[in-house]
Amino acid sequence: MTPPAGSDEPGRPATPGVRPFLHRSGAAAYRPQPPAGPDDQVPDGHISGLRPFVITSGRVDGVDPDIGMETQVTVHPDARPARLPPEQRAIVALCIEPHSVAEISALLKLHLGVARILVSDLRACGQLDVHVLDSEFPDPETIMRVIRGLRSIN
Amino acid sequence: MDFDPSTDRIVGTARVPNERKQNKPPVPVKIIVAGGFGVGKTTTVGAISEISPLTTEAEMTMESVGVDDPGPDSAKTTTTIAMDFGCVTIDHTLKLYLFGTPGQARFAFMWDDLIRGALGALVVVDTNRIDDCYPAVDYFERAGLPFVVGINTFNGQLGYSLDEVRWALAVRDEVPVLSFDARFRGSVRDALLVVLDQALDRAIKMRSS
Repeated sequence: MTPPAGSDEPGRPATPGVRPFLHRSGAAAYRPQPPAGPDDQVPDGHISGLRPFVITSGRVDGVDPDIGMETQVTVHPDARPARLPPEQRAIVALCIEPHSVAEISALLKLHLGVARILVSDLRACGQLDVHVLDSEFPDPETIMRVIRGLRSIN
Repeated sequence: MDFDPSTDRIVGTARVPNERKQNKPPVPVKIIVAGGFGVGKTTTVGAISEISPLTTEAEMTMESVGVDDPGPDSAKTTTTIAMDFGCVTIDHTLKLYLFGTPGQARFAFMWDDLIRGALGALVVVDTNRIDDCYPAVDYFERAGLPFVVGINTFNGQLGYSLDEVRWALAVRDEVPVLSFDARFRGSVRDALLVVLDQALDRAIKMRSS
């Protein structure tokens, strides 16, 4: 199975152009509104709609917190993805070139949480290299390089 | 069903046949573009990104269900939010990501993840709906993330002076308040440079302390 790039998935909106909750009550909406109180509790305690996590065998957490959305992922030199499920295989195929977790999520149309879990799994079983940064905070030299790089954009 | 990356992987002008060699990935850095719905976050990201903005979806976690109101007609107790992002390749070892994120307080659950390692944030403001950006401003202030308030001048018009906006937001004097036009690359670039300036200040302070 190939990554479902550009395929139409019925019943699921594509890129949300206009979000339905965008509408506000016209020009009079300038006044600050009180935040929605915590009164609206779970209506009936019934949880549905976690279907994407079927792919992750129901797990919704347990991801290495160091795997961020921008974390770069590449295929491990000894990867043997032939026996993997389609989603995992698609991730490994995509990561022949370095991609961020966010890009994997967007390009393969996986929820971000699902993508993170799968990347974490594939790293654990030796299919992917996940390039976690040594330091959480970029150093001044790196920031200077970004500044110089942006300045050169016209 | 065999793994055959050469079918659709093209690097430069050459097809790469089943390449096992590992590419050295760039170091990623990121800037958050926050703000209420429809203030121009995606426009901002798209104006400077070298790719057209990609959309990723994040499922709201169950802890957040209590503060989410999916509407009376919905049996859903989870919400999917869309996040747009783009990137700018600085050089082959450094890549800047821009993440546009909904500014509503009810989405703050995902910001902790989002701001880890972020250089800073650009809070996009529409002066007609200035309160939309309060949650983002509050959050970044508490988190200690350098941020800049950027008033998106739709059609070049600024409804209020920068001082008036600063007064309304009650941000500290160190927080830059500027106006920019989300449609123009140069304008977005300049706004981001101000964010980076703040990030640099913080990085130097952190190093010396």
